Amino acid sequence: MDKLKISSYLILIISIAGILYALLFNPPPWIVYGISIIFIPTGILSFGLISMKRGPKKDEEDKNREPFIGY
Amino acid sequence: MANILLNVLIAFLVGSVLFGLQRKIMARIQMRPGPPIIQHLLHTLKFFIKESTFPKTAAMPFYIAITAMLSVIWVAAIIVGPVTQGSLLLIFAIYAIHKIVEHNAGSSSGSPYGKLSCVRAVFSAAAEVPLFAVLIIIYFKAGTMNIAQIISYQAANGPLIYSIPLAAAMFFVLILSKAPYSPFAITKGKDIISGYETEHFGLLRGYLMMSESTAWYMLLWVFLTVFIGGLSPLWYLVGMLALSTIVGFINATTPILNPNHSIMTQVSFALIGIVGSLVLLLY
Repeated sequence: MDKLKISSYLILIISIAGILYALLFNPPPWIVYGISIIFIPTGILSFGLISMKRGPKKDEEDKNREPFIGY
Repeated sequence: MANILLNVLIAFLVGSVLFGLQRKIMARIQMRPGPPIIQHLLHTLKFFIKESTFPKTAAMPFYIAITAMLSVIWVAAIIVGPVTQGSLLLIFAIYAIHKIVEHNAGSSSGSPYGKLSCVRAVFSAAAEVPLFAVLIIIYFKAGTMNIAQIISYQAANGPLIYSIPLAAAMFFVLILSKAPYSPFAITKGKDIISGYETEHFGLLRGYLMMSESTAWYMLLWVFLTVFIGGLSPLWYLVGMLALSTIVGFINATTPILNPNHSIMTQVSFALIGIVGSLVLLLY
């Protein structure tokens, strides 16, 4: 597993744990707002980074290469 | 927390379906069958399982973080709006950050189209931010910037759309400029492919589309709440459908303006709206 996958799993677990904490333990409102603003977006992003399809390793170089970077 | 999660989910689903409805209306006016109404929603979800790569020229990790930033600000808007009915000033700040996100998403990608869109985002901010400044007219009229108090004011004195119609018209122009295929959508004009989103494909595009749907829902929510008053969920839905339908009609029958014309038109609206509203308030 590469670095991106591992960090995505880690962020997803932390995000879900944060959201569950806010759901189950009724912390003060400002903590709930903070958890929502940070963990809902990071949870969705990390889920996406896990669920997205990755192409074959050998094709990666061709796909990343920009034909023109003179701007 | 459950309330916030529910509101985020509703905003995303309703916003996506309204975007789909707009495309359907545009297609029917242009004598095309058009995609199904849920197509925008399906596209958004589909992108999450599509193959994604990150361009070499992208400024990592900023290229990914900026997409999260768009989501962060609109989740914050949901908390300020439907959940807590807080200050309109915060919504204004969130909209200003939205323009910064457009700018930075374009510049972080390394694509020439993205960079051109990033310049246009700054350019259009010069017109859209004054349009959002319409909120100051609301302050002059209702004496508050708090959404809950504005709702109470309207319950006692009638909807603000009757007393400050020009301000409502200005806010509508702002909403129109955020719709896809709008005459003012210069940051995503087809001459620059998809603008600042050109190099955000696959998962990141889906993530951006998710935030844009939420943004659309929130802008309509602010319009209905601030100019008509607190409504029941059903009337919110009816109001959002009506506004999206009008926007669909306008988008179907107008071309995307070039940047100069777009900005000058919006600035003219802003000028007429602000001066006209102040005159209406004085007399």
